[in-house]
Amino acid sequence: MILSTLIFLPVLFAIVIALWPQKSTIRPIALGFSIAHFIFGLTLFREFDPNIADLQLVEKYMWMERFGIQYFLGIDGISFWLIQLTVFLAPLILLASWKSIDKNIRGFHICFFILQTAMLGTFLAFDAILFYVFWELSLIPMYFMIGIWGGARRIYATLKFFIFTMAGSLLMLVAIIYMMFLTQQAFGTMSSSLLDFYKLSIPFIGHEFFSMQTLLFFAFALAFAVKVPLFPLHTWLPDAHVEAPTPGSVVLAGVMLKMGTYCYLRWVLPLFPEATEYWAWIFIMLGVIGIIYGALVAMVQPDIKKLVAYSSVSHMGYIIVGIFVFNHLSLQGSLYQMLNHGISTGALFILIGMLYERTHSREIKHYGGLASALPIYTIFFFIVTFSSIAVPLTNGFVGEFLILLGTYKAIPMAAIFSVTGVVLGAAYMLWMCKRVFFGEKGPLVADAHHPLVDLNAREIVILVPFVIMIFIMGLFPNVFLKWSEASVDYLIKNKANYELTIKGAK
Amino acid sequence: MNFTANMGDLLLITPMIALFIASLIPITIKVLKGNVEQKPIATLAQALLGIVAAAGFLIVFGGSGKTAFNDVLIFDGITQWMGLIALSAAAGSMILMYENPSTRGVQFSELVFLSLSSILGMMILISALDLLMIFIGLELMSLSLYLMIGMSHEQRLAKESAFKYFVLGSFASAIFLYGISFVFGSSGQTNILKLLEVTMNLIQSNQMFLFGMILIVVGFCFKVSIAPFHAWTPDVYQGAPTPHTAFMATAVKVVSFAAFLRIIATRPLIASDNLFEVLQWLAVITMIVGNTAAILQNNVKRMLAYSSIAHSGYLLIGVITAGISDNGTIGASSVIFYLFAYSLMTIGSFALVSMMEKTEDHSLEVGDLAGFAKKRPILALSFAVFMFSLAGLPPSLGFFSKFYLFNAAIGEGLIWLAIWGVLNSVISVYYYLRPVVMMYMHEGESDVASANHFATAITIVVTAILTLLLGVVSGPLLTLVESSLI
Repeated sequence: MILSTLIFLPVLFAIVIALWPQKSTIRPIALGFSIAHFIFGLTLFREFDPNIADLQLVEKYMWMERFGIQYFLGIDGISFWLIQLTVFLAPLILLASWKSIDKNIRGFHICFFILQTAMLGTFLAFDAILFYVFWELSLIPMYFMIGIWGGARRIYATLKFFIFTMAGSLLMLVAIIYMMFLTQQAFGTMSSSLLDFYKLSIPFIGHEFFSMQTLLFFAFALAFAVKVPLFPLHTWLPDAHVEAPTPGSVVLAGVMLKMGTYCYLRWVLPLFPEATEYWAWIFIMLGVIGIIYGALVAMVQPDIKKLVAYSSVSHMGYIIVGIFVFNHLSLQGSLYQMLNHGISTGALFILIGMLYERTHSREIKHYGGLASALPIYTIFFFIVTFSSIAVPLTNGFVGEFLILLGTYKAIPMAAIFSVTGVVLGAAYMLWMCKRVFFGEKGPLVADAHHPLVDLNAREIVILVPFVIMIFIMGLFPNVFLKWSEASVDYLIKNKANYELTIKGAK
Repeated sequence: MNFTANMGDLLLITPMIALFIASLIPITIKVLKGNVEQKPIATLAQALLGIVAAAGFLIVFGGSGKTAFNDVLIFDGITQWMGLIALSAAAGSMILMYENPSTRGVQFSELVFLSLSSILGMMILISALDLLMIFIGLELMSLSLYLMIGMSHEQRLAKESAFKYFVLGSFASAIFLYGISFVFGSSGQTNILKLLEVTMNLIQSNQMFLFGMILIVVGFCFKVSIAPFHAWTPDVYQGAPTPHTAFMATAVKVVSFAAFLRIIATRPLIASDNLFEVLQWLAVITMIVGNTAAILQNNVKRMLAYSSIAHSGYLLIGVITAGISDNGTIGASSVIFYLFAYSLMTIGSFALVSMMEKTEDHSLEVGDLAGFAKKRPILALSFAVFMFSLAGLPPSLGFFSKFYLFNAAIGEGLIWLAIWGVLNSVISVYYYLRPVVMMYMHEGESDVASANHFATAITIVVTAILTLLLGVVSGPLLTLVESSLI
């Protein structure tokens, strides 16, 4: 029952908050809930066995007999850290929202907790329909979050976000239903369980686009490519990030983008091994283009938040390259990079939000010389920047290094082009830092009537966990990698016909 | 022909008898009181009692698969389920009639009489097993409806709408009747069961029979607003008083589809390749026309009218699926389930529209919803639930009904229709989200028109809760429908 509790606790929180009588105490109550949720999530460390690749803590009940749809949850090494990331970010996000969200606080917290449920459900569902329900459900709270608490062009941004993502995922629904009929043909009874899907062998004809496995592969891959987002489907992301309120941006960058990359590992690679191998070059190429394109576009952004948004496109490109290169190093690196990106980009968005709360501007040219005005802020910002540009000793280095190493072993050209992304990444981030923190004081910083106040205790409390994680993950990567090791190993070794067994089942 | 009616036949038609008696009570009381209207709540109560009695009889006596009066009426699973859906949708619309400014007050007993006659026509339509009986049901339903729209207090648009509906509806009926005459002429039958035995031969060899069948299909396409025969729908839906629009968009559509299903969804007929092709394209065109035109609308009722056209397109996929399946009844049961979900969401949406109409001549624009969420959070949330559900987002009822429909279609190999269906869902998201954007993301002072909309508000909240929660537990429900059709 651990996984169900983990998924549905936030719904309970949302209901309590909806009925909570006093408006003034909603914030601390919600924060308390999210901390409790995080602590509950820590019990997974005790219950989860990292030494086996089996599916663990399984919950399986028949939901709709007619179609073989099950309520089927499970966890393995691939999803383990993403769950931890989701519950780890929640209290920090809520604490960061104390100033930036100033209207309809009750509604915001309800949206946030329902979003948590949807995201955790997506990571833990092992039934195609259950997964699809959670996957689409995650759109609705995000849609409200951007649309109600967002910036000036929020409605355009939120509609674009919603329609892009939904357009991508509906073809996946057709593919899922089709695969349910394939299970019916193969095993006699219809089933939408992922484990049954894994058992299918779907005929593959190379160099022919209109063949079954290729079409199914693209129906799934498209849905996830929009979410990641893969170049050229990324255009919703900068709009959504810029208009979203700080908590929305953090959830979006921190967890929601990972839903896309995680699903490549969970759904696309094991289900369509031949098609993945055959078409991997497209994804590697688009990933590399995304790395370079994202970095170049980030360089010329006048808006700090938009810069970070484009840097996300670049960083997610690494993860895609790592996944489709498909060897042990690159996969471990991709999983690690998912966590890194969640932490470093999440922290960057929170930092930008803190600056915005003080000056109500994100234009780089309005700043300059911020280092002397806000020294503590500057220190935090630089640590996070280092993590983002993969300086050794920080977490970013480990992830990118593993991906590049793995990629170089398989496709040296791809690695060589990807490395330019590292250089460009350092260039745009450091150039932005130079313009914002050093040099002559800009109009906003020099404004004597509105002196800037450095970080207060609450803000430091938000940032410290991020910094701790950045260094722990940078210094002791093996502590983290060992939890996903067995599952990744198993995935690589059995890539031609991947099957997952349930722990304890014969 | 020797005509015999026995006790069993009379038992079977008890739902109709109940409706007929209930329809007479209010106007009889009015006449006995010397043309003085009794309290509207009493009238409503009598009407609802009649509907509940009819539903009860339908549950008890219907669904056995028995036929009555020399195979003119049939009471099988389709009759039972479609009848229950239509009756509950009609009950919902009558609650709206009780409180809407353009239908309440004077002449309410006449309105209830006409509504119940219309529902009586519906019951005949869904149980008819004879082309002429279908025609009688269709006419009784439609003629009452023309009068209902025409007698509303709203001055200009409703009269226009009633007239337009009357002219086009009669036109469709004429085409339908003309088709029946060709079919009768070429086959010598009007009974559907007997017709089906000869269809396989005639449809390939006899052009006259095919022509007649096509005219029947066209007549139905008018009734259920399949493009390109949909042009009357937006004008009539917008012009008619909102409760009547809800009545038309749900109950009338449900029963029309029931009869459509009975005639068209038969293997011998669909086996005609041309008809099969044409029906598929009609479904695709209908979805595209409905969804793209809905994007351009600013009037909420007009938008919902186009959305209802689009949903006819989705339903046609299900009807085709039901037609080509050899065994199993997943096609028909997915249509029934879809109609149920669609009726629930549509009644709820129109109920909210009805609540926000200040006077009989006021028509709700999308912009009028600005800031509604702040004023009425529960109603706004309910409306958002309807919109998300109509767009087919999980975990609402709308998602599961679409899932069942596409599942059935893909199971019969109609993958490309399912793909058209999901692509259209993407288009539809845009306009379904517009009211939500207005309610939640714009500042404004919109509010419900007046306080005395208690029953309508209850209807909205109940339908919203059902829409939100019923989807998750809908598996057994679908299985129940499916097993009753065999």
